[in-house]
Amino acid sequence: MRRDFLVGQIPLITLIVLGVVIAVLTPRFLSPLNLSNVLVQAAVITVIAMGMTFVIIGGGFDLSVGSVVALSGCVCAMVMMEAGIAAGVAAGVAVGALVGLANGLIVTVLKVNPFITTLGTMVLVRGVVFLLTGSQQVPIDQSLPQPFIDFGIERLLGIHYLVWVPVALLFALSWVLARTPYGRSVYATGGNREAAYFSGIRVDRVVASTYVWCGALAGVAGVMLASRLQSGQPTAGEFYELTAIAAVVLGGAALHGGEGKLYKSVIGVFIMVILGNGLNLLNVDSYWQRVAIGAVIILAAAADRLRARRG
Amino acid sequence: MPTPVLAAEDLSKRFIAIKALDHVSFELAAGEVHALVGENGAGKSTLIKVFGGIHRPDSGRVLVDGAPVELHSPADAYAKGIAVIGQELRVVPALSVAENVMLGHLPTRPLVPGLAATACLRLDRARMRAAAAAALGRLNLAFDLDQRVDQLTFAERQSVAIARALSRNARVLVLDEPTAALEEREVQSLFAVIEALKAAGVAILYVSHRLDEIVAIADRCTVMRDGRVVADLARGAFSAAELARHMTGRDVAEERAGAAAAPGEVLLEAALGGDVRLHAREVVGLAGLLGSGTTELLRRLFGAAGGARLQMRGRALVTRHPADSIAAGIGMVPNERILGLVLDQTVRDNVVLPNLARFGAWWRMDDAAATRVVRELLEALDVRPPDPSAVVRRLSGGNQQKVILAKWLAARIDVLLMDEPTQGIDVAAKAQIHRLMREFAGRGGAVLFASSELDEIVGQSDGVLAMRRQAISARMARGAGLTEQAVRDAITYQR
Repeated sequence: MRRDFLVGQIPLITLIVLGVVIAVLTPRFLSPLNLSNVLVQAAVITVIAMGMTFVIIGGGFDLSVGSVVALSGCVCAMVMMEAGIAAGVAAGVAVGALVGLANGLIVTVLKVNPFITTLGTMVLVRGVVFLLTGSQQVPIDQSLPQPFIDFGIERLLGIHYLVWVPVALLFALSWVLARTPYGRSVYATGGNREAAYFSGIRVDRVVASTYVWCGALAGVAGVMLASRLQSGQPTAGEFYELTAIAAVVLGGAALHGGEGKLYKSVIGVFIMVILGNGLNLLNVDSYWQRVAIGAVIILAAAADRLRARRG
Repeated sequence: MPTPVLAAEDLSKRFIAIKALDHVSFELAAGEVHALVGENGAGKSTLIKVFGGIHRPDSGRVLVDGAPVELHSPADAYAKGIAVIGQELRVVPALSVAENVMLGHLPTRPLVPGLAATACLRLDRARMRAAAAAALGRLNLAFDLDQRVDQLTFAERQSVAIARALSRNARVLVLDEPTAALEEREVQSLFAVIEALKAAGVAILYVSHRLDEIVAIADRCTVMRDGRVVADLARGAFSAAELARHMTGRDVAEERAGAAAAPGEVLLEAALGGDVRLHAREVVGLAGLLGSGTTELLRRLFGAAGGARLQMRGRALVTRHPADSIAAGIGMVPNERILGLVLDQTVRDNVVLPNLARFGAWWRMDDAAATRVVRELLEALDVRPPDPSAVVRRLSGGNQQKVILAKWLAARIDVLLMDEPTQGIDVAAKAQIHRLMREFAGRGGAVLFASSELDEIVGQSDGVLAMRRQAISARMARGAGLTEQAVRDAITYQR
C-alpha cells in the first residue's frame, strides 16, 4: 500500500526536485516575473492536457490538438471582428469541439486507429487554417476588441486571468471524471472496453465524447492563446500536441487507457514547462533543449511500460 | 524404485504475505501420468512455474534424474527436458504445422553444397518434414504438414505444441488445464495422445480442475492445499469425491437441484434458432459442443451480437445493445472473465458499472451507498476478502467469478444468462455458484446457463435446451428422461 502510494507520487516528487535544482542553479527562476511567465505558459498547455487526459483515459490518443489551437484562435478572431467577443469565443470553442466530434466518429464508426485518424486531422486542419487565413495573422491591420486583449494581460488577485481558466476547469472537470456516472464509464471503457460493453456501457459514445472534450478544450486553449497573442496566428500551437501528450504520460496516465487523473496531468505540464524555462534561464542552446525534452518523453513512456509490466 | 525424472525437495516460495509453497516435496516418474489438483491459490501454478523456470524457489531443490538443477529461465527448463504446455499455446499462427513442430531447432543444410559456414545455411525442408512427421507419428497424429497453424482448431494446435516438445526430446511434459477449452470428443483424442506419450516413456504432470478426468487418466495424484501437499494417492485410491474432500479439507456435498418447483410465469420468450422460453423460478441448462451456437444464442439474447427480438414479461422489445437488455432486466455472465471485469479497477467500481443509474444522479454518484451495497453482496457471496476497495486483478478466479455475479445481483434483473459460469474454478467455488444460481431462481428469477460439462447440465437444471449446428435440437425436463446420455445424444452429430 505505502509502496503504491509512493509510486503514485513520483510525478510530484520529480516536479519538486526539478524546481529545487533549477532554483539553486539560477536564482532568477524564483523571481516574480519569471514565475508568472511560467504560470501563463503552463495555462494554455494545461487546458489542452486536460482534454488529452480524457482521451487517454478512454483508451484513445489525439495528435490534432495543436492544429485545433491554431484553427480555433483564427476562427475566434475572424468571428470576433464581425460579431463581437462572445460570438468569437463561442465559435472558437465550437470549432474545436467539431473537429473532436469528427475524430470521435472516425475512430468509433469507421474504426480507424486513433493515431492515424488524428495524424490525418492534424495535417488536414493545419491546411484548412492556412487556406482560411491566407497564411496571414487575423486580423491583419486592425486590432481585436480591447476587452479581449485585456483578458490576456490583466490579473485577478495578482494572477493572470489566463491562469484562472485552467484552475476553474480543473475543479469542474475533476468532478466530472471522479464523481459522475459518465466519468466512471470513461475509466471503465479505457480499462476494458469489452467488459464495459457487456456491462451495458455505450462504449462508442463514451469514446467519441472524450474526443469532443479534447477538441473543445483545445478550442478553449486556442482562444486563450489568441487573447495572449492579440491575434489569431495560423502557425500557433505547433508541437503542442506532443507537449500535452508528454505531460499526461509524465503525470502517470497509462497509455493503454483506464488510468489517469487531471491534477496529475497538470503536474506533468509543470514538469515540461519548468524544464523548458529552466534550460532557457541557464542559456542552454535551444537545440539541446529539444534533445533534453525528447529524452524526458522517452523516459516517461519507459516508466509507463515498467509500471505496466510490474502491475 | 527407479530415480524419478523430476523431483522437488522441500520447496518453499513466498510472495509478500502469501506462502505459495510451504515445504513441498514431489516426485514424477518416467511413463507416469501424475495429476496435480488443488483449489485456486493452493500453489499448483507456483509449483509448475518453478518447474518451468519462471519462479525461483526461496528454499529447497529441484532435481532432474536425481541431480539438483537450477532453473533460471524457461529456456533452462526446456534444456533439461521439461516442457510446459499452458492454456496459451506458444505456436506461430502464420507458420506451417511442420515448421511449428520443428521451431527452435529447424534442420539446415549449406546454401551451396560443400560450403559449411554457419552464415550460409538454408532450411532443409525435406528433413524438417520428415522429423515433424516422425514426432507427430509417435503421437499417432496425422496432420497435413503444410497446413498453416492458424487454420487448426485449439485442440489441434495443442497437439502441435506437444509434438514440438517431443521433437526436442522433452522427458517431462507439464499440461496446465489442457482440457479447459476442449470439447468432449477432443478430450478423448488428447487422452489418446497422452497414452502414446506414456508409452514413449515421457513423464506427464497433469494439472486440471476436472476431477473426473483425473480419475480417468492419472496413475497418481498429488493434492495441494494452502501451499502444502496434503495427499499423494496412487491409482485406485482416489475418487472424485475423495479428491474434493482433500482439496477443501471438508466434505463438499455435491448439491443437486431438488425436485423442480412449479415453474412460474413466462419471463422471457424469443425465437432464435428455435423457441426459447424461460419461466420464473427455473434454471435452464443450455447444452452444446464448442461451435454449436450456445455462446451466440446467449449473446444475441443479451443484445451483444446483432439485434434480437424478444418478449420480456409479455412486452415485446428489440435488444440491439447490452444497455437495452439490462434496462429490460436481463443480465449476462460472459464465457471469459476478461469480458466481465475491468481487472485494474476495484470490486466496487466493477459491481457498480452496470448499475450506474441506480447509485446516484447523473451529476453525482452516491459512493457511500454503493460501498454499503457492495459489501453486503460480497459477504453474501462469500468473496474473500469482502473488501469493496480490493483491486479485482488480485482476487482468485473463483472470487472474480463471484464479483461478476455480484454485478447482476446488485442490479434489478429477472433473467440471468450465464456462459460457462464455472469454467476453470475450483470445486468449492463451483458449488457456491451453483447454489447462487438456484437462489436467484428461488427469488423468482430465471437462469439460462451454457456448459460443456454434461454432469453440470444434468445436475443443475430444471430443464435443458440442447443445441446442435446453431439450432435447438432438443428440449428436456427434469424427471422426464434427463440423463447425461440423452443430452450427449442430442448435442452430437448424428452419423
